[in-house]
Amino acid sequence: MAATSARPGMPESESESAHPELGAPTTGPPKAAPAGRTTASQLAGWALVLGLLVICLLAPKLFIPSFPRTLSAVFMFATLAQAWNIIGGFTGYPSFGNVVFFGLGGYTIAVLMARSHWSFWPALVVAVVLGAAYAMLIGIPTLRLKGHYFAIATLGVAEGTREIVLNVPKVTGGGAGITVPAVGPSATTSYPGNTGFLYYFLALLVVAMLAVYAIARSRFGFALRAINQDEDAAAAAGINTTRMKIAAFMVSGAITAAAGSIYAFQQVSIYPDRLFSVDITVLMVIMAVIGGSGTVIGPLVGGVGLQFLSEYLRQNFTDYHTFIFGAIIIVAVVLLPEGAVRFASETVRQRRLPIMDNLRRYRL
Amino acid sequence: MTPFLQATVYGLLQGGLLALIAVGFSLVWGVMNVVNLAHGALAITGAYFSWQLHESLGLDPVLSLVVVLPVMFMVGYVIQRGLINLVVNAPIWMTLLLTFGLEALIVNGLLLAFTGDFRSTRTGYSTNTLALGGVRIPYARLIAFGLSLLLTVALVLFIRNTKMGLAIRATGMDRTAARLMGMNVRHVYAVTFGTATALAAAAGSMIGLVGTFTPVVAGGYTLQSFVIAVLGGLGNMWGALAGGLVLGLATAWGALYLSGTLVNAIAFGILVLVLIVRPSGLLGKPYYEARAEA
Repeated sequence: MAATSARPGMPESESESAHPELGAPTTGPPKAAPAGRTTASQLAGWALVLGLLVICLLAPKLFIPSFPRTLSAVFMFATLAQAWNIIGGFTGYPSFGNVVFFGLGGYTIAVLMARSHWSFWPALVVAVVLGAAYAMLIGIPTLRLKGHYFAIATLGVAEGTREIVLNVPKVTGGGAGITVPAVGPSATTSYPGNTGFLYYFLALLVVAMLAVYAIARSRFGFALRAINQDEDAAAAAGINTTRMKIAAFMVSGAITAAAGSIYAFQQVSIYPDRLFSVDITVLMVIMAVIGGSGTVIGPLVGGVGLQFLSEYLRQNFTDYHTFIFGAIIIVAVVLLPEGAVRFASETVRQRRLPIMDNLRRYRL
Repeated sequence: MTPFLQATVYGLLQGGLLALIAVGFSLVWGVMNVVNLAHGALAITGAYFSWQLHESLGLDPVLSLVVVLPVMFMVGYVIQRGLINLVVNAPIWMTLLLTFGLEALIVNGLLLAFTGDFRSTRTGYSTNTLALGGVRIPYARLIAFGLSLLLTVALVLFIRNTKMGLAIRATGMDRTAARLMGMNVRHVYAVTFGTATALAAAAGSMIGLVGTFTPVVAGGYTLQSFVIAVLGGLGNMWGALAGGLVLGLATAWGALYLSGTLVNAIAFGILVLVLIVRPSGLLGKPYYEARAEA
C-alpha cells in the first residue's frame, strides 16, 4: 500500500482529527460517489436495502410473534445511526449528545398526549420541529468547537437536559417517569400494537435513508463533506460553514426526535434515565462507524447488524452479553475503522481482504 | 455557619480525591489526544484490587498501594501498547469508541467477578473522626486527601524533572519531532497511560477507604474527570488539582443550598459554559501553545 504512510507522519493538530477520510489510502472515489456516477458496489448495496425492506414487509407474517418488536428496535437504531451520520459522518462533528433529541422527542409526545390530550400525529409534528429547533439552539454555540471539545460539549448538553427533565416533575413526572395514555377512555390515538410500530419505524427509516441519499448527492452534502475535510478551505471556497453545520445538525435532530417520539409511544411509560441514556448515543455512533460513517448505506448495515447481534447475545448469553458486546466493539474498532461498507468495496476493488490495512494506517 | 464550614471542608477533601482521578485523565488527553472513557472503570478496578487485598491479606489500603500502583501501571502500559496505540491515528471517535468498549468490558467483568453489591474497605480507623470546632473530619478522608496531594505533586515532579517526563511533554507537543529526536513514542505513550492508570487506581483505593463503590459508578467518575480536565485545561496538572477542588466545592455547596438532584445539572452547566467561553480551561494556555505542561 503506497499510501499507508499518509497519516502517521503528520503532526496531530486538532484540525487533522476532523478529517476521517483525508488520509484514507483509497485512490478511487469515496463510497458516497458524486452524483451521476454509480458503481457496481453501490447497486449491490441498494439491492441489499431493497431486499431487506421486502423481507421486513413480510416479516410479521413470516416470523415468530416477538419478532416485530425486535425488528422495530433494529429499524429504530438504524434510523438513529443514519441521523448521527449526517452530523458525525458527513460533517465530521462527532456529536456525543444526539440522544438529547431522542429524549426531547419522546418527552414532547408524552407530555402533549398525557397533559394536553393531543393525539399522536400533531404531537409528532411538534416533536420534530422542537428537535430541529433545539439542535439550532445548542448548535449555535457548540458547533464552534471542534473534535473532542464538540463531542464533550454535546455530551454535557445531553446530560444537563436530562437533569432538567428530572427536576421539573410537574411537567415531566421527574424520575418516576410519565405514561402516555395508550388504552382506555383517555387514549387520544389508538395504540397501533407491535406490528403497527414496526411499520412506523420502517417508514421513518425509509425517510431517513432517502433524506441522507438526497443530501449525499446535493450541493448541501458536498458542502458538508468539504467542511469535514477542511473547514477553512470550505469557508474560503464560499461555503457558509456555520449555516451548513447548523442545518446538518437540525436535520439530524429532527430525525432523531421523530424516532424518540415513536419510541415513547411504543414504550407507553418513559423515564429520563432511559430516554437520555448515553448508551443510546454510543450505539448510534458505533453503528454508524462500524457500518461506514459518511456513506449512505453504512449506518443501515451497522444498525441492522449490530442490533440483531445485540439481541442475539441478550437472548443467548444473558449474563455476559454486555461483556461480549464490549469485546466486539473493541475488535471492530481496531479492524474496521473505515466501516464495513468501505471494507467490502475495498475487498471487491483489490480482490483481496484488506484486513490489516486499516491497522497499518492508524497504529502508531 | 457550621453546616457551611462542614460542607466546605467536605467539598475540598472530596475535590482533592476527584483531582487525583482526573489528573491522569487530563494527562492522557493532553499528551495523546485520547479521551479515555475507561478511566473511571480503571479507578474502580483499583478500588476492587485494594479491597480484595484488604479482605484476603488484611492489608491497609494505603499500604496496599505498594502493590496496586506497579500492577496497575503494568495493566495500563499493556492496554496502551497492545490496544490504544493501534488506533491512535484514527479519527477521534475511534478512540472514544475503543475506550467505551474497554469500559463495558471492565465494568461487566467486575460485575461478573464481584457482583453489583456496594463494597467498602473497612479499616480500624474508618469510623474515627477529627473534631475541629464543630466540624467533623473523618481521618480516612484526611489520609485520602493528603495522599492525593502527594501523588499529584509527585506526578508534577516526575513530568518536570525526569528524562521520561521530558519525553512525555515532548511527544505531547509534537510527536513527529519527538520521533525524529530518537524517542520511542510507543513506549512513551504506554508509560503515560500506565502512569495515568496507576494514579486512577490509587484514587480508587482511596474511594474504597472513604466510602462505598460498585462497578456501575465508574461512568460517573469518568464524567467528573471530563469536567475537571476541561476546567483545569488539558494536560495541566495543577489545573486538574484546581478543577477538582472547584468541582468538589461546587458539588458540596450545591447539595447544601439547592436540591441535591440539581448538582449534576450544575456540573454539566459549568462544563458546557467553560467549553464555550474558555475552551483552554481556567489555568490552561491556548490549545496550540502547549498540550502537556507541568
